Amino acid sequence: MQDLSLHLIDIIENSARANCDLISIVIGIDETENKLSFEIIDNGVGMDEDTLTSAQNPFYTSKSERKKKIGLGIPLFKENAERCNGSFLMESTIGKGTRLYAEFEHNHIDRMPLGSIEDTFLSSIVGHSEINFFIKLFHILQNKEEKVFILDTREIKSELGDIPITWPDVVIYLKDTLNEGIKNIELEEF
Amino acid sequence: MKTLADLKAIREKAQQEMKLRNSNVRIKVVVGMGTSGIAAGAKDVMKTFIDEVSTRALTDVVVSQTGEKGLSSMEPVVDVIEEGKPRYCYGNINSEIAKRIVVEHLVNGNPVKEFLISTE
Repeated sequence: MQDLSLHLIDIIENSARANCDLISIVIGIDETENKLSFEIIDNGVGMDEDTLTSAQNPFYTSKSERKKKIGLGIPLFKENAERCNGSFLMESTIGKGTRLYAEFEHNHIDRMPLGSIEDTFLSSIVGHSEINFFIKLFHILQNKEEKVFILDTREIKSELGDIPITWPDVVIYLKDTLNEGIKNIELEEF
Repeated sequence: MKTLADLKAIREKAQQEMKLRNSNVRIKVVVGMGTSGIAAGAKDVMKTFIDEVSTRALTDVVVSQTGEKGLSSMEPVVDVIEEGKPRYCYGNINSEIAKRIVVEHLVNGNPVKEFLISTE
């Protein structure tokens, strides 16, 4: 994985396979604490204690190809966070869903760039039109000013009525909204 | 800045267009987005399909993504599914080839044979 946006698409895919209908994603930079954090919460099938532990082990796979719910994705993401003086946490409740939290030291020399998270979001929203996405991105500057961007596909879908979210003009709208929003809060420094 | 109000205009325009042409989904494009697919470049391929399909206003094509299907050595893998036709599976796809699939297969109906790995 070359950047964090690739990890993100992988994690979202796990949630999608857990049969959820809502994925909430909160990503932000807090310059006052030198932190970059990711929180992904789904309301999917969830995992029991054992599966939750196994999912973080790179040598674990359920191997029944089409039914695979977990992969190398989680251990790679965890390793990256921990290598950057960060932390990684996964919690899950059967029948309720799963929460994943990863934190990176923002200016750590080994921290991967964020990459094009706007493409990750667009792919996931269009590629999983049956799932709702709540996306909140924030950037807390050194002077404690907080810039926030929120996109909630439930609002968009209710505005669209019978027009699918995959309709070409809607996709272009989503793309522009994401690009503008991410640019406005200056989420990536390069 | 884009607002929800812009969506109202988009909705009205789309409703007009839906009346004029058949807006049923004719073709489904499915991009394999498992860990190995992502590592091999599936995200760029997905983006290319989304960009091409939306800018060409192909209202009868839906692009979606799915997990791994056990073809890791040929990632990125893309399926083109059309009712009443065989399921075309492409392998080792990149953005350039994705653009060709949109023009040659989705628009003109001619599968890009050299990148097909199976036809079911």
